[in-house]
Amino acid sequence: MSSISPGRLRSSDPAVGVRDTLARRRRGSRGRVYSASRWIAAGLFALLLVSLVVSLATGADQAFAHSGIGFVWSGTWNPAASEYGAGILVVGTLVTTGVAMLLVVPVGLGAAAFLSELAPRWLAGPLSAAIDLLAAIPSIVVGLWGLIVLSPLFARDVEPALSSVPLASWFFHGHAYGPGILLASVVLAVMTLPTVVALSRTALGGVAVADREAALALGATRWQVVRRAVIPGARSGIAAAITLAMGRALGESIAVAMVIGNEPSIPHSLIGPGATLGSAIINQFAEANPGLGASSIVALAVVLLALTVAVNLGGQALLRANAARLLTRERIPS
Amino acid sequence: MSPAVSPAVALGGVPLDADDGQAARRRRELVQRAARRSLRRRRFAGRTGVLACLVALLVGLAPLVAELGYTVDRGVGGLSLGFFLHAPTPPGVPGGGISTAIAGTAQIVGLALAISVPLGLFTALFLYERRGRLAGVLRFGADVLTGVPSIVIGIFAYELVVRGLHHFSDLAASFAIAVLMVPIMIRADEEAMRTVPVDLWEAGVALGAPRSRVARSVVLRGALPGLVAGNLLAVARGVGETAPLLFTVAAPTAAMTLLIFSEGSQALPAAQQTAWTTAFVLLAFVLVLSVASRAVAWGLTRKAR
Repeated sequence: MSSISPGRLRSSDPAVGVRDTLARRRRGSRGRVYSASRWIAAGLFALLLVSLVVSLATGADQAFAHSGIGFVWSGTWNPAASEYGAGILVVGTLVTTGVAMLLVVPVGLGAAAFLSELAPRWLAGPLSAAIDLLAAIPSIVVGLWGLIVLSPLFARDVEPALSSVPLASWFFHGHAYGPGILLASVVLAVMTLPTVVALSRTALGGVAVADREAALALGATRWQVVRRAVIPGARSGIAAAITLAMGRALGESIAVAMVIGNEPSIPHSLIGPGATLGSAIINQFAEANPGLGASSIVALAVVLLALTVAVNLGGQALLRANAARLLTRERIPS
Repeated sequence: MSPAVSPAVALGGVPLDADDGQAARRRRELVQRAARRSLRRRRFAGRTGVLACLVALLVGLAPLVAELGYTVDRGVGGLSLGFFLHAPTPPGVPGGGISTAIAGTAQIVGLALAISVPLGLFTALFLYERRGRLAGVLRFGADVLTGVPSIVIGIFAYELVVRGLHHFSDLAASFAIAVLMVPIMIRADEEAMRTVPVDLWEAGVALGAPRSRVARSVVLRGALPGLVAGNLLAVARGVGETAPLLFTVAAPTAAMTLLIFSEGSQALPAAQQTAWTTAFVLLAFVLVLSVASRAVAWGLTRKAR
């Protein structure tokens, strides 16, 4: 920040004493330790970032040397034949996350709009706080609940019901196992819901009072204010909420591994078993053959890293853009 | 304000009380009728919309409440003093507890905290006092690292520590958890420090105090509630992590989350009971941490007013 420099002083000047004291203090051991520890911490953190990239790159080196960049979309994962490719797992990851987002976005947005704009205060306050807290539920607990409670429920009721609906059966045909892509998506949706609600609620609450008042003055009903003024005003914040939730869903591994059925093949039906990058890493890690097999696991981590970092950076950029826009405007008093 | 009137004025352009002939009256009636119809339609759409939002809220709350309720319901039954104090027993032998898992989690997270809290704090101080390209790069790095999936961090810890030391260890697990928590701590710490007015920092420096003293007595003192809140949230995340531990610790009973994973995948009723009770204990601990974090942050905003 600002640097303090006393400037040129004559030796007779009383300020010289101050300057010397300042200089002595700055040179003093405590000051030096403090200054060094900040630099060391910053350096260690930078080293950490570099070593993350380097050690993942060296770990995945053999796999990428073997199959080239084609590893990312190559569609076979068959350790027995030493054939490794991330293609199916990338598809599985995108499909589970996509379905989870289809489930969570309408529900989360509606809930956020209700809590932020429509519910009476005595209800909205405690309920919002409770939902914020639920974002902290460890994913292993959600996974356990999905495996023990939802899985039998899906196998017995939900999946047969879905596959008997005329048009939907194209997506939901096949044997109802319980564990599968649909169950994994539902678990991901439950897991990301608190994030979507909390972030969209903040975005909606940040829309300027003047925007609401303008809409009311034009004769808009309360719902029209929400629909035409508040939601469009919070668009980038809502987009950020969805993107960040998507980043979390893409990277979730343990809960997905518990409920997806773990079959690295092309999914033909949403209720069939599948695999994602994260779940495959967990399941294949212990059995990986040394050499190419182990390296391919690390390569999967590299692909997952690239995918999630891209999505998260997009979400954070949206969030910052929204915050910057809001700073220049009047906020709703809370 | 009656919404039925204003559109009529806007649309008809004729004052409502003016009576200047048949045509104007006719026009006024048409406009008023249209306005009433519009309002009816908009009110109906509004009621439908509000109802849809309420339904969305209930649909969203249902699984969350069901999940919490089920975990409490299944978990409370297995609670006893022995559950916390005894080591796990082999399958079929009753009376086992999870003392080793609790101790393991405490040890792993404790060591991770010893690494990540100072690292996060001093890096945040670095970012607070310094602007420029390096600070920008580090801040960006923290943002990126926050979004890295925990399983990737687990693989990283495996590659770096486990393969480096040639064996699985709690140290590698602590390293992984520390890497997970550090970026959260850096950003939360810096944000808390930014709530301290720059004027105070400048006043401290202008008084001739060394930067270390200003950092301790002005920045850290002022930001303390925010620092505590942010770090507690990071701990809550670190305690609940499973994936990085899978690739690092030596034994599957070495942490609470791993125990839930291994016991939960077994069909034996006793294993299931252990999994649920452990899940309940973990959930309670994490929620208490989150509530504590929020209470501290809330205390901060109240004091500021």
